[in-house]
Amino acid sequence: MYSLFYGILLLFSTPIYSLEVIEILGGKASEIPIAIVPFEGSGNISGQKAHQIISSDLNRTGLFRPLNIGGISNPPSNDININYTKWSAMDAQFIVVGKVESENRNTGNIKITWSLIDIFKEKTVISMRYIGKKSQYRAIAHKVSDNVYEHLTGSKGVFHTKIAYVKKFNDKKYSLNVADFDGFNSKPILNTTQPIISPRWSPDGEKIAYVSFEKKKPVIYIQNLRTGKRTLLANFKGNNSAPAWSPDSRKLAIVLTYNKNSQIYIINADGSGIKQLMRSKSINTEPSWAPNGEDIYFSSNRGGSPQIYKVNIENDEITRVTYEGKYNLSPSISYDGKLLLFLTQDQGKFKVAIQNLISNQILKISEGPSDESPLFAPNGHLVLFAYKDYGKTTKIGTVSINGLKRVPISVGNSIIQEPTWGPINN
Amino acid sequence: MYIGGIKLKKSLLLVSLIGLLVAGCSSTPLDVSTEPSDSSYYGVDAATAEALGLDELRGNVLLSQRSVFFDFNKYDIKPEFQDLIGAHAQYLNNHAPARMTIKGNADYRGSHEYNLALGQKRSVAVKEALNALGVDDSQIETISYGEEYADQECQADACGQDRRADITYEVE
Repeated sequence: MYSLFYGILLLFSTPIYSLEVIEILGGKASEIPIAIVPFEGSGNISGQKAHQIISSDLNRTGLFRPLNIGGISNPPSNDININYTKWSAMDAQFIVVGKVESENRNTGNIKITWSLIDIFKEKTVISMRYIGKKSQYRAIAHKVSDNVYEHLTGSKGVFHTKIAYVKKFNDKKYSLNVADFDGFNSKPILNTTQPIISPRWSPDGEKIAYVSFEKKKPVIYIQNLRTGKRTLLANFKGNNSAPAWSPDSRKLAIVLTYNKNSQIYIINADGSGIKQLMRSKSINTEPSWAPNGEDIYFSSNRGGSPQIYKVNIENDEITRVTYEGKYNLSPSISYDGKLLLFLTQDQGKFKVAIQNLISNQILKISEGPSDESPLFAPNGHLVLFAYKDYGKTTKIGTVSINGLKRVPISVGNSIIQEPTWGPINN
Repeated sequence: MYIGGIKLKKSLLLVSLIGLLVAGCSSTPLDVSTEPSDSSYYGVDAATAEALGLDELRGNVLLSQRSVFFDFNKYDIKPEFQDLIGAHAQYLNNHAPARMTIKGNADYRGSHEYNLALGQKRSVAVKEALNALGVDDSQIETISYGEEYADQECQADACGQDRRADITYEVE
């Protein structure tokens, strides 16, 4: 579903830092001051300009402090003759400069040449050129953000990824939409008169599984994003809900009830081979596959109030994971397996929290009061979640995993909920 | 739409009118344009209405109560709903062909999926209370709507309206 453009590497050096999610969570990394200089020639491209797109991308991560350089005279557009003293005086540790040109008058293609410059070391970190259609302007700017991010953190950026979310227009009109991670280029992939919940993007990027109430009760569909076709994955007696993809995209953990309480089952993505994972008299729901493919995290009220547990899918061995707080739910695991993301009730407010699975240290990264549906970005450095705007209408946004930056994703005035994040797609 | 003080679904009325035109088996003189007969009133033939005890289902005050309410994050049935459940159990026990669906709900707080599970737990709690009074599982289906049809802006006590299980019958 991605339209292609190509990038040419002009100068490359190894990444400067290597930043693990644990380090970010521990708050050891301070925000890096960076100046994104307005790109020469970007004045004739409509909408947000490249430097604004890149600034807002980096700002979301809580790892960068994009500097306000509005009044600067004669901004550089390449890495030649950089006035290091001047930038250093402005507190910039790094700067990004660039130029937008017409590549081909006939095709209307554009060419964006840019550099990331280390002001302290007085050298160019990377220079690249992207060529693509004018309509790919935003996508190219996001790729610049990805490259800057990767060089300064050692991890892949997620700025050229997609998200999906549920839009509720009213009680009789819902849609499942796909958009760029920052909410731009949104389009519906399903329109329906009944609620949709729990969309989950397959790790291979090709499908979205979701729960629909079209059949007067919850059933699970899988929709192919390339063809738009969907298949009914589960329509067993009772409820069918909470689809969770295995890391290889071949199986799903789902929740069925028949005439009993919610229990977790594993089913092949083609609907075959269903089997129950474990049995209990309590609620077992919200399964989430660990990246190792062997453990499934889930929420259960087996101890009274809901807490997060994990089960080994080979031997059904169950381990309790959360102990702090009376109401913990909606687990998911970072892609390195080290962090647990979940929803916790804290003094009556529902907040997004992260638990370091090695030290068990917990950090609450949102304020509530009605936050929900937290999911990691595919690099584990950002969290997508839903919250009630002014305590009323549900909207979505990102929060950095150090909790420093919470930024809305603007996709319209309706109720926006139940987001999911697609994989990194090069 | 209201007929004789009892709420009828449009589809039920349609069925009743068709039944009337085809069967015309009413015991009283009819004017199709004004009021349906006893049999069409139930949407089923007289024998089925008799077997399902529809007179009782509609006339009994306790049986007309269909919602069991719960506390936040709770699914235990409060004592004040025992009479309601007892009446429905007796009705199901006396009318083997009757089929009940219990639809659990939750208020909006918390996650959509956990609330779906909680709503299910509530409908199962009602089912088990009926089981305890001798009702067979084959007469009951339990499902949940979670928070999907709940008031998304309720405050404090008002959210209690959404923490409930609703009893419906296939024919009522």
